[in-house]
Amino acid sequence: MNATTTRQRLVVIGNGMAGINTVEQILKLDPQRYEITVFGSEPYPNYNRIQLSYVLEKSKSIDEIILNSWEWYRENGIDLRTGTTVTRIDTDSRTVHTEDGTVVPYDKVIVATGSKPLMLPIPGADKEGIVGFRDIADCETMLHAAKLYRKAAVIGGGLLGLEAAKGLLKLGMDVTVVHLVEELMERQLDRTASLMLQAELESQGLKFATGRQTAEFLGGQRVTGLRFSDGTTLEAEFVVMAAGIRPNTEVGRASGLTVNRGIVVDDYMRSSAPDVYAVGECGEHRGVCYGLVAPLFEQGAVLAKHLCGVETKPYEGSVVSTQLKISGVDVFSAGEFMDAPDLNVVRMHDEWHRIYKKVLLRGGRIVGGVLVGDGKQAARLQQWIRTGTVMTEEIHAAIMGTAAAEAGNSAADLPDEEIVCGCNGVTKKHIVDAIRDNGLTTVDEIKACTGASRSCGGCRPVVEQILQFTLGDKYDSAAAKKEGICGCTKLTRDEVVAGIQEKGLLTSKEVMHVLGWDNPEGCSKCRPALNYYLGMIWPAEHQDEKDSRFVNERMHANIQKDGTFGVVPRMYGGVTTPEDLRLIADVAVKYNVKLVKVTGGQRLDLLGVSKEDLPKIWEDLGMPSGYAYAKALRTVKTCVGSQFCRFGTKDSMGMGILLEKKFERLDMPAKFKLAVNGCPRNCAESSTKDIGIVGNEGAWEIYVGGNGGIKSRLADLLCKVKTDEELVEIVAAFMQHYRETGKYLERTSDWIERVGLASVTAAVVEDTENRKALAARMETALSQVKEPWKEVLDNPVLRQRLYSEIQVPVGTK
Amino acid sequence: MDTKEVTYVGVGRVGDFEERIGRVVRIGGVELAVFRTTGGEFFALENRSPGPRGGTLADGIVSGVVLFDPICDWRIGLRDGAVLAPDTGQVRAYPVRVQDGEVQIGYSAS
Repeated sequence: MNATTTRQRLVVIGNGMAGINTVEQILKLDPQRYEITVFGSEPYPNYNRIQLSYVLEKSKSIDEIILNSWEWYRENGIDLRTGTTVTRIDTDSRTVHTEDGTVVPYDKVIVATGSKPLMLPIPGADKEGIVGFRDIADCETMLHAAKLYRKAAVIGGGLLGLEAAKGLLKLGMDVTVVHLVEELMERQLDRTASLMLQAELESQGLKFATGRQTAEFLGGQRVTGLRFSDGTTLEAEFVVMAAGIRPNTEVGRASGLTVNRGIVVDDYMRSSAPDVYAVGECGEHRGVCYGLVAPLFEQGAVLAKHLCGVETKPYEGSVVSTQLKISGVDVFSAGEFMDAPDLNVVRMHDEWHRIYKKVLLRGGRIVGGVLVGDGKQAARLQQWIRTGTVMTEEIHAAIMGTAAAEAGNSAADLPDEEIVCGCNGVTKKHIVDAIRDNGLTTVDEIKACTGASRSCGGCRPVVEQILQFTLGDKYDSAAAKKEGICGCTKLTRDEVVAGIQEKGLLTSKEVMHVLGWDNPEGCSKCRPALNYYLGMIWPAEHQDEKDSRFVNERMHANIQKDGTFGVVPRMYGGVTTPEDLRLIADVAVKYNVKLVKVTGGQRLDLLGVSKEDLPKIWEDLGMPSGYAYAKALRTVKTCVGSQFCRFGTKDSMGMGILLEKKFERLDMPAKFKLAVNGCPRNCAESSTKDIGIVGNEGAWEIYVGGNGGIKSRLADLLCKVKTDEELVEIVAAFMQHYRETGKYLERTSDWIERVGLASVTAAVVEDTENRKALAARMETALSQVKEPWKEVLDNPVLRQRLYSEIQVPVGTK
Repeated sequence: MDTKEVTYVGVGRVGDFEERIGRVVRIGGVELAVFRTTGGEFFALENRSPGPRGGTLADGIVSGVVLFDPICDWRIGLRDGAVLAPDTGQVRAYPVRVQDGEVQIGYSAS
């Protein structure tokens, strides 16, 4: 009781990265000091706003960008009130007031309300279909719009606008970026860099209307287009305003704090009122409002120490840098970037490699830089700019790539409190301590221990330098950078496979023991991988290790988010019969499945089946598993082909069924999809499959390495063959070659990029002897596969232990 | 935990549990995931993931006395249910004992 009453009340207005980072730092310094209440307008816990562009391009889910879970707030005793907007602070009565009339007293209050998108006051800006890009709700609006509309305009050619535009483009929209001046990102890039960026983005499919001022939004209730000040128009069914952000100072103004552009704060984040602080994008420090993530961590660190009575240096401003988070576009800018009379410029422009590098010096010290097309030195350049390092021959060589000279390690110059990992807020000191306290020797270990470089990976080079600097003579460069197959071993995939073969290792346990695993029973990464490699190398001898399978492969069904499963029976080549359809329908009714879905692979998915019902459903269906859950052959998609189609030249259904029956059930490094088409119209979409087969008059074309998933890739033509026998043999050889050389979880699209199409062609097409040997090894592997559903039904013990729950009524002794 | 109120109930024989493969046990309204390690030790956790994406724990991969969450891949200590660094969280752990080959789980009646 005593402890709680003496705790001071800290109220944080704003549940974003700035506020919560400050809270985290306070909890580290003095967890018992404050009773903390956090108000947030959004209905989410704290998330990584910088990664919204990943959510938009669907490479991450919302859950994956959550930084602090609900649990975290609970565990730290934080009273979190989401969906609640604070209206004002009453600095006289020392209370915080919310929209819904709640009044909360405070001893200290932090305003961390961030910023808002700048909505330009253009006539018609209130029409439907015009949004900003700032939070999860905006992101969801954009994802939804991409399904309904085709033509989008993004106003603003800055960082945010380009990320939004690229996201919408990836979602399949036709996107035009409208920008007031001629150069994109003119606040970070000079003209040369800006033009290179535009050319690169144009090649990816973005359109640009630069040097255009939007004068009016056209349309009725909903926007239909833009009219520019020069009278020209642009059709647009959806508009994103990303022309900039402005500090969200509403609470500050309503509370009588001094506000210019942002809430004015001093070097300890103090506002004009006593015990009222502001941190992050809502604040204005020494006349500067920041709109990037690094400064808020630096401000938060100073504020947290100040609030905990720990001595701290004042915050004196940040050097900001910009890195565009768009795949395939490497653009970095920091500090000063425009030529000026008092600056010396080191410049390299290689139009052939499309690389541009520029470093700006004042009095011999590095004060700014721009990198386009090659961002390898970005992290170091940023350090040099921040510390005002004097230009040396070594640095010059390192940046310009003129010599192989190894530049000096600048980790020593980094202050302890420097945030190295911007995504996770990890400081240099945190990393150094982790290395010393835990005897770490690799970057991967640091990642596991501190979280540094876990999210975007941009800080990996700096982490590496800190490791080198901390270990000194004990640093082993090759070992530190090498990425083992997981954190349990430093061995690579090839070293592990060679070890298994040379030493004749038969079980995961032997592998881990003989090859010196750090963790005696491995982890969720190496266990499934080893189980696959062992099965691939010793098809006859290896006993499948069920405890090393991911849940789906262990249960032979797809787990859903509510803990129920999806059941997908085989439907070879996507061909079924009225009898089978009737049976599937009867089973779906009998077990009350929640949904029947026609899958992308031409079969039926019965969703919402409880674990205990799985064996019963399989028994009633009496059909083989469709392996919709497995790292194995999923489906063979077919078109109607010559049996019925008037264009069909080949029997695609027949060949598809033959291939699916031949190669089903076999473990592969990753999921594997096939398609067979009866003519070049390609209705079964061969170009996005691991193997896509296209029938022509008198020949089959075999395409490989296609992918329609997260990272789409069009398949490459491997070869053409005349006969069905040759086709089957080459398919077998290709699959086996991939099985023998692919990394576990590596799709053929990534594998082909890694090993090169030429090497695959040589191994499975040109070298006929090798082809036959591969096909023969494939036959051996195929002779070992068993139907998994039947195996469970035939084995009552397995069925009992894997699928049935134990029920114990309460009250029994 | 309020240890004095713990009541032990039998949930099955040792042989009913596969090594390193979790099994769901319901005691009254509580759903537990019970694990048998390579060393023959038994542990019981509440069958609910502490991770950001929810889900259950019984189907995770077991390594020593650590469980890998099947959905978010967090590492959870089987002994005390604590989430291991760099993530944080807590799963409720229940005491388990083996008597004469019977696996018994302790739960508090409240």
